[in-house]
Amino acid sequence: MTTLASPLFEDRPQSFRHRTLHSFNGPVGSITATLAVTLLVGLLWVGPEFFAPSNIQIVGVSVAIPLIVAVLASFALLAGVVDLSIGSMVGFGAVIFNQLVATGLNPWLVAAITIGVGVVVGLTNAFVIVYFGAEPLAVTLGMLTLLRGLSQAIVVSAPPTTLIDPLYNVTQGALLGFPTLLLIGIGITLVAAGFIGKTRVGRKVQAVGGDHRAAARAGISVTKVRVIALVISAVGASIGGILYVGQLGSASNILGTGLEFQIYAALMIGGYSITRGGVGNPLGGLLGLLVVAGITNILNIQFFDPDYLDLIVALILLAAVLVDRFRGGDEFE
Amino acid sequence: MTQLTTRSRLVRAAFVGLAATSLTLTGCSTVDPAAGGSDSGATDDGTFTLGFAVGGQPDADWQELQGDVAKGLADQRGWDFVELSNDNSEATATTNADLFIQKGVDMVMMFNGQPSANPVIAKKYEDASIPVVTFDIAQPGWYFVGVDNASAGTEGGTKLAELAQEKWDCDVDLVISAEGTAAGQINEWRTGNARTAIQETCPDIPEDNYVSYEADGNLTTSLANAPGVFAAHPDAENILVVGLNDQAVVGALQAATQLGRDGSIMGWGQDGGLITGDNVDPNLAGSVMYFLEGYPASAFEIADQIAEGNAPEVKDTGDNAAVSVKPCPVTQEQAASIPNIDERVSELASAAKGTTEHDLFCDF
Repeated sequence: MTTLASPLFEDRPQSFRHRTLHSFNGPVGSITATLAVTLLVGLLWVGPEFFAPSNIQIVGVSVAIPLIVAVLASFALLAGVVDLSIGSMVGFGAVIFNQLVATGLNPWLVAAITIGVGVVVGLTNAFVIVYFGAEPLAVTLGMLTLLRGLSQAIVVSAPPTTLIDPLYNVTQGALLGFPTLLLIGIGITLVAAGFIGKTRVGRKVQAVGGDHRAAARAGISVTKVRVIALVISAVGASIGGILYVGQLGSASNILGTGLEFQIYAALMIGGYSITRGGVGNPLGGLLGLLVVAGITNILNIQFFDPDYLDLIVALILLAAVLVDRFRGGDEFE
Repeated sequence: MTQLTTRSRLVRAAFVGLAATSLTLTGCSTVDPAAGGSDSGATDDGTFTLGFAVGGQPDADWQELQGDVAKGLADQRGWDFVELSNDNSEATATTNADLFIQKGVDMVMMFNGQPSANPVIAKKYEDASIPVVTFDIAQPGWYFVGVDNASAGTEGGTKLAELAQEKWDCDVDLVISAEGTAAGQINEWRTGNARTAIQETCPDIPEDNYVSYEADGNLTTSLANAPGVFAAHPDAENILVVGLNDQAVVGALQAATQLGRDGSIMGWGQDGGLITGDNVDPNLAGSVMYFLEGYPASAFEIADQIAEGNAPEVKDTGDNAAVSVKPCPVTQEQAASIPNIDERVSELASAAKGTTEHDLFCDF
């Protein structure tokens, strides 16, 4: 049995009040405050209709799939490997799912095939990165290009329409006035947060990302952790692709383009680091995505020029980085 | 150890719980057709509200300008006007539909360059009973406004063949077609009809002299793929180029220049995107202008009737368009006398109701 020798992981008993205050001193606290400000701005600028069920539905539907992809991609970030191919994997997964369903195959079978492709892509990334020691940015950038090229090779004309009613109902529907897919995404986030923060395996992932040499000396299999993290990341993206087909009823060859940057920007706003593994919490990712989605929605329903959106997200991202540095930055969440 | 085992069990239980909850949510989830409807944001004071979604594709200024033209025309009529960008993304276009429905618009006009989600978007608008005008890309149930592509292809091919007849006595070694197959029927109308028109004017050009390649409707791809065509025909001297659009044609012309094969080459584009301005390719003999930025002027013929409560019959295909925009073939010299795109938009905004850019600028 592997034991964790590092004192880093020894929990000192702390009071609830102390833990609460401590958590708000970290990035999750910063992003919670940012979200509160965003909601306040929405309320003051847009009015009570900002919280209308129809508007919550719009925000929820737009944020749910990126959330699911982001939470699963964050495992790779935590393990110290950036997976830039997630946006292309979302698109490629969507293209495979859409094209195969259009041939008349059973959607459940096709979903399994699509997830299987995600596993293969994740393993391929992992094989080159972990076993050959290649630079993750370069490898996953190559995979990004490869998958985008495959999508373009497969979809050369108008893609088929595959409106699958049950999937459409989940991805566009609501339960008791709340977006169904967002509920599922929040559930996944909570489980992931619990897994990362409260289990030994989760802490191993953080340890590998924080200092892989120290983790190896502590008896943790760095290879195994990173392989699994990259596979989880690719599988999450393939699931995102399936869900997009449910939501949009089709998949073009550019679906998911740039999604990786939106997701990583939101994760960084939420307290993750692209350059340092081991830092971040899925709850921060959720809040980061909600902040970006909230700002987008405020600008949209005020019919603001969308060009300003990138500017505002960039400013928030820079602010998040600065706050992270002022806070000290290197401690584990 | 006991604590760790307990944690493992808790995590397993959490995963099982999540899966069970997800399935339950999936089973119970419903899409309310009225969701996003009039329960928020819709301030119906009787003023007609037009929602306009621009395409948001890169390097296509005319898309932003379509919004400007529509806003000017809506202001003339005293209508409320709201605009969003589809950002060249089907997901954004779908969200925009929700936003327009939430706003309670009376009608939507849009160009959606990523139409794969159009069936879902159409379903949303149909549920909300909002009429839609679509530019250039047809969708069942939406009013189609677009150029007469078949006629545009024929007119462009004819003009280019007439030039070949005049300059080379129809002694043409190569007719290159820079295709954009993703555009489907539109590509076939524009490039296929152009080839047919060349054949009719210059019937002695051998069939083997007609070649096609994939230009994807953009300059970068066209420039990358065209050299292969020139390499495969090293002895061709008199060369004609037609294509899906100006970018595809100019890509081939630039490739010829780079390879030193531009001694005797002429191209005729489609859409007029690169035939005006200061840097027109010298071998682009002409183009068929559609005045894309002015499409809203044609669409307002439909909007006016809807605003008056007399919605016209929906005509939703290229063959049976609600409004067919007339193509305007122009030589490079003629194009030089046409005002630039910003001035055209400005003139159109101050023109009498019902005037189109074809009326204003295609008088040769």
